[in-house]
This record gives sequence, C-alpha cells and structure tokens, in this order.
Amino acid sequence: MLQFVQQLVNGLSIGSIYALMAVGYSLVYSIMNFSNFAHGSVIMLGAYFGFFAMRLLGLPFAVAVLVAAAGTALVAVVLERLAYKPLRDRKAPFLYFIITAMGASIFIDNFVIATIGPTPKMYPDVFGQGPIILGDIAIGRVDLAMFAISAVCLAALIVFIDHTRLGKAIQATAYNMKASALMGINPSFVIILVFAIGGALAGIAGVLYGMKYQVFPQIGAITLKSFIAAVFGGLGSLPGALLGALLLGLIETFVSGYLSTQYRDLIAFIILIAMLVVRPSGIMGKSSEDKA
Amino acid sequence: MSPENSQAGSGGAQPILELKGLTKRFGGLTAVNEVSFTVTEGGISGLIGPNGAGKTTVFNLITGVYRVSSGDILFRGRSIANQEPFRIADAGVTRTFQNIRLFKNLSVLDNVLTACHTSARYGLFEAFFRLPIFAREEKALREKAMELLGIMGLAERADIISNNLPYGLQRRLEITRALALDPKLLLLDEPAAGMNPDETIQLMNLIAEIRRKFKLSVLVIEHHMDLIMGICEHIHVLNFGCTLADGQPELVANDPKVVEAYLGAEETE
Amino acid sequence: MEYILGIFELSAINLVAVLGLSILTGFTGLFSFGHAGFMAIGAYLSAILTKNFHLPFVVGILAAGLAAGLVSLLLGRLTLKLKGDYFCIATMGFGEAVRLVFSNWTYVNGARGMASIPKYDDLSLAIPFVTALVAVVVSWNLVNSRQGRNMVAVREEELAAQMAGIDVLRSKMTALVVSAILAGIAGALMANFIGFIAPKTFNMTKSTELTIIVIFGGLGSISGSVVGAFILTALPEVFRAFSDWRLVFYGLAVIVIMVGRPQGLLGGMELTPSGFRKSMAARRARAEFARLKAEGGGAA
Repeated sequence: MLQFVQQLVNGLSIGSIYALMAVGYSLVYSIMNFSNFAHGSVIMLGAYFGFFAMRLLGLPFAVAVLVAAAGTALVAVVLERLAYKPLRDRKAPFLYFIITAMGASIFIDNFVIATIGPTPKMYPDVFGQGPIILGDIAIGRVDLAMFAISAVCLAALIVFIDHTRLGKAIQATAYNMKASALMGINPSFVIILVFAIGGALAGIAGVLYGMKYQVFPQIGAITLKSFIAAVFGGLGSLPGALLGALLLGLIETFVSGYLSTQYRDLIAFIILIAMLVVRPSGIMGKSSEDKA
Repeated sequence: MSPENSQAGSGGAQPILELKGLTKRFGGLTAVNEVSFTVTEGGISGLIGPNGAGKTTVFNLITGVYRVSSGDILFRGRSIANQEPFRIADAGVTRTFQNIRLFKNLSVLDNVLTACHTSARYGLFEAFFRLPIFAREEKALREKAMELLGIMGLAERADIISNNLPYGLQRRLEITRALALDPKLLLLDEPAAGMNPDETIQLMNLIAEIRRKFKLSVLVIEHHMDLIMGICEHIHVLNFGCTLADGQPELVANDPKVVEAYLGAEETE
Repeated sequence: MEYILGIFELSAINLVAVLGLSILTGFTGLFSFGHAGFMAIGAYLSAILTKNFHLPFVVGILAAGLAAGLVSLLLGRLTLKLKGDYFCIATMGFGEAVRLVFSNWTYVNGARGMASIPKYDDLSLAIPFVTALVAVVVSWNLVNSRQGRNMVAVREEELAAQMAGIDVLRSKMTALVVSAILAGIAGALMANFIGFIAPKTFNMTKSTELTIIVIFGGLGSISGSVVGAFILTALPEVFRAFSDWRLVFYGLAVIVIMVGRPQGLLGGMELTPSGFRKSMAARRARAEFARLKAEGGGAA
C-alpha cells in the first residue's frame, strides 16, 4: 500500500511534466492540424534559458522561469513566422511541414551542441536537499515543485481557454478556421498566440525537467513521451493530452516500480501501439469524418 | 415524399444506378435525407439544388468517400454502399471534382496513365525486374492513354505539367482521367463552374459526344440551368438534403416548389 | 586510396537506405522518423548470423531485408490507415523502441554494442557496390511502373487517387515495406563493413539524416537521391574540422529548401536523356503559359 501511494505521487509528478509538454503541442495541433515536431527542441532551449538566467545572470528561480517561458515563446513564434508561415501561404502539402519541423529541430539541437557543447549542466539548488517526509511517504522537493508549477500553469491555461475572449477565439479557430475568420477572428493572430502559449509552456517544462535531471542538448528527446501522451488522449484535444500525460506518467512509474526500470520507456511505445489498434482517435478524441 | 412523375419518362430502360432512401448524418446534422432516384443505362441525369443542398455529399456517398448512414446504393443491381472507394471506381463509377483535383505536378500524360493502371496486368515482381510482360503492358497503357488524349484534344499537350494547363483544359483533363478507367457511369461535379457561355456550350457537346463514344451513363451536378436543360433527360432536385422534385426537365423547371427554392436561395445570397 | 574507397563504400551503403526513403518520402509522401530502427534490425541480424553462426555475408543481407520487411508489414498494418501525424509518431516510437530493445539485450552486449563482426575482405568489398547497383535499378524500375505511378498519385492527391481506382493503403504499404527492406539491407552492409555496431548508431538522428539526403537530392527523383547520397556522405569526410557544424548546416538547409526550393537539387527530374527532354518540354510550356497570360489572359 505504502509503495503504491509512493508510486502514485511519483507518477503524478512526472505525468504533470508530460502534460505541460503535451498540452502545448496539442494546442498547436488543434489549430494547425500538423505536429510541430520541433517542440522538443523548444523545450530543450527552455531548459538552457532557465539555466543561464540563474547561473549567469543570477536571477531568482521564479524570474528565471518567466525568462525561459518568454524566450521559448519568442523562439516558437519566430519559428512559425520564418519556417511555417511561408509554407502555409503557398498551401504546401502536409509533408513539407513535417520536414521543415524536422529541419528546425536538427538545427536548434545541433546549434546548441556546436556553441554550448554537449556537457550536461546542473541547475543550482533551489528547493533544498532531502525529500519531504509525509508520514511514511518521501516526496522529492523538485518533484513537488514540478507538480505544483505544472498544475498552476495548466489550471491557468484551462481558465484562459474556457473563460476569456482570446481563449474562445482559439477554440473557434480550432473548430473551423474559415468560419471563425468570417466572424472577425484573425487567424494569423490566433496562430501566433498558440505558438506563443505552446512555446511558453514548453519553456517552463524545460526548466522543470532540467532541474530534475540535468541540462543537455538531447533533453528534448523526452518530448516523444508527450507526443505519445497526446495520441493516447486524442490528438488535438487539450483535456485528452492532460489525461493521457498523467496516465502515461502513472503507468510508467508503476511499471518501473513493480517490474523493472528497463521496461519503463518501452511501455510507452507499447501503449502507443495498443492505442492505435484499439482506439486510434484516443481517449478523448472524436473519430470524425472530414467533410471533403 | 415520393414525387409524382418519378420514373415516368424512363420507359423500359434498365437502371444503372439506384439510390434507395440514401441518408447521411454528420453528428446531429442530416446532410442527405432519404434520397431515392435512379439513373438509367445510357442516360444523362442532372442533380441540382441550391448551395448546401447535399449534392456533392450524394456524390461522396456514391463513390465511397463517406460512409452511408442508412439506405442503399445499387450499381447495376449490386450494392456498392460503404465499399472501398477504389473498388467502386474499379467497378465502373468514376467522377470529377467541383474544385479540380488533378495530380498537379505530373504531366498530362502521366495523369491519364495513372488512371489507366487497372488495365495493366503485371505485378510488383515483374515491375522490379522489368520482365517482358512489363514492357508489353506499359506500351499498351501508353497507347491507350495517348488515344484517349487524342479523342479529348489534349494529345499535343501530353508532356505539359497539368498545373500549367489553362483552367478549361484542366477540367477536360480531369474528365479524361475519369474516362481512363473505362467507367460505365461518370459523375461530373459542376463541370461548367468558372466557364464562360462559349466554353459551357463546348462542354455540353463534349459530354454528349463522350457519352455516345464510350457508351456511358452520366450523372451531373450543375448550377448552369442552360447546361442542365440542354443535355439532361432526367433531373433530381435536392433542397436541404431532401428530395424536392424528380422528373423530366420541363416538368421540374415549372414545379412551383423548385422555383421557390431557387428564388429563395437567390434572395439570401 | 583506401580512405577514398572507404568513403565510396559508405556512400554506397547509405545510398541503399536513402533509396528506400526516396521511395517512401519522395515518391509516396510518407515521412518516417524511424527507419534507423529497420537498419538496426538488419545490422544486428546480419551481425549475429555472420559472427555467431558463421554464415556467409549474403545470407546475412537477405535475412536482414526479410526481417525488416516483415516488421514493417506489421507496423504498416497498425499505423498506415491513420492520419499522417500518427504514422510519424508511431515511426518515432518504433525507432526508439528498437534501440531500447537492443540496448537491453545482453545476447548482443546491450548498450556497449557488438564488436569483431566479420568484415568484408578485398573481394567481398564489392558486395556493397553490387547491392547499391541492384537497389538503384530496382528502385528506378519501381517508380517507373504502374505501382510507382500509384505511389506518386497518393502523394499528390489522395482523394483523387482513390477515385482513380488506386488502393491507397496498398500503395503506402508497398512503399513502406520496400523502404524497410532496403533499410534492413543497408544495416547489414554497415555491420559487415565497419565490424562494430552499437544501439546508439541507430538513433533518430540517423533516421533524419537519411531523409535529409533525400530532400537535398530532391523529392521524387531517384538520380537526385544517388547524387545526394554520394555528396552528403563525402562532404563531412572532407570537412572534418567543421563536424560540429555539419548538422547545424543540414537543419538550416532543410528549412531553406522547403521554404525556397522544395524540389531540392533535382526534384521530380531525372538525369537521363528522356528525363531531360521532359523537363525542357515542361519549361517551354511554362514559358508559353506565362506569355499567354501576359498577353491578356487568352488562356483562361
């Protein structure tokens, strides 16, 4: 029982990071209908932005998170304007978007390797050493921070999407870009907005993930998990991405706790395949017929 | 609901296509509701109605792009409802699109050649190693494609990338591509869209000619009433997914319900 | 001399895998992040067969192609029916999963990799070249057959392809299986050429590098892939000093190509007399079309 609760806590903590990544990715997908496979590189940049903000500029943690979020939001928007927009303008096929995203990802990752170098870097200690003991359960300080910050960000996002005019504009555009454009919603603005939000969430996720482990150029590879989480929950559905990410985090932690750590990463892939076979539209996705 | 003079003019001719209570629902929206009509073998029928009446949806149901919610589609007496689109095409139902869908970056010849593929009888293995049957069949395919292009007046443009063709010829190429499958029934979705009156008349003659030459039945969606009245022997009118009228052109054109639907539609535009 | 030969050997090996991706991405319009996984399957299988069972190289190559092809058949069945993004994510997951399996498999020495795999000697050094040559001929024949035209139709306009009687799923499956077989064979060639393989050789960067070569050479051009494979394998060897910046340049170039010249070096054009004639005819047609338009829209 004790081990169960312990695993539950760990699972929610890692799941919340996956959620932060998956929600941003899914948000962009819901508007653009394409997977921004450069999302992982933006997360990696976030981890470095946060690291340099604290180590070089000596900023406090909270400010560093904001700096990282602003930096990655900017990167995501620049990427959108320079790489994706020209393709959109000439109605390029889906394939070109995927290839461009791949190119962007390779460029960013290797630019960091070439300039900063591959050596892993450690964040300064912010939350203090030693776990927090609650009864018989030990919670890592960083894990708790991860969960708390992710929860706040996700709650803020949900409030924003559901209860503000801008959020409703995003929803309308996701539902039907042409119709919402006729209603006076500027699609170009909405696209920039979702890239900025997705980028900011990616930056925060990068800082948290870099704190838990280390900062290194390949750190963005973790985003594969968030892609899987998004498919698990239903591509393009925000609640789906959230649920999928938490479930994936929990399943992974339980598998490594009760079976073996070696299988932890493999289980994500097995879930992906199982999901594609049983219910390709995901938990919350709607299996819709596109009107041609 | 069933219109008075439904099968009146068809006489003894065999139906090639029969829609029976065809219905399509998207979520809560019923796009096509209990639509029934027939296209007779060798005939030209028209499918008309205001924008959003569900005409293209009917085409998408016939060709298997959408799944049928209820009802049935019979082609030469056999149900083709919910079959894979390529099987329906192979069975002899081909179509063109309202917004032309060519293989844009391919040459005119390759567009037609691609659609001829079902008449080639060589497998992957023969293709990999260029066995003799490959050369024989490819030669026959090319001849067939060039012959078709000749009939359609596109032969001297065979090497042009189809995207670079003038608009009217793109429509013509799309029809040629549909003919390459040796169809029995040709579905044309607004073939005269964007054409001037001269071109429309040319197109009318072309449709009549290919029907004769290829022994085709034709079902055409059109907004140009002159085109519909000029060539169709039978007309089915849709409004909000439901049948509004069905019968010979003159009868339908004077039907007060049809007149009202069209006038009503114009007012809101 | 040996050094130059080595570069050519590597180019030929890369070419075999690149041809597969050329068919998959360039001709059929599918994108894979996981073909290094198929290479890994081929490489490990050939390594095991030639090292542990002392079987001849050719057996390793054939088994590698067969195994990769069978696995791709399974992957395709599960994922090809779904929208493009699902396929991409599934290939990404597949590639990583294959790498993880080999990293944790003690029989093949896990993450440390397999060493002292039998290497090609002077005579069998011809194997990669012969294989590459066969691969070029077979790929060329495929894309110029009705099956190849069907793949291009699927890439260009899936709905119209269906309406033209093309079994879209089958075309995609053919492209995937052929590309996986070629990737598996390339993996086998690599294992027996270098004599050492490790799971990290077959990471996602390897997959994307192969696709980058296809994009450089031009989507939809077999000769472009051939030229691309030789240039992009040789260049990094020549410019060793800039090796850190190589991938930076690649990534940037991919974006520039997609935004500015999506056809790549030779997109849609082949370096053969008839291919040249065709592209000249197309150029004339474009010029004439532009002239007609300029003269006042007589063409519309």
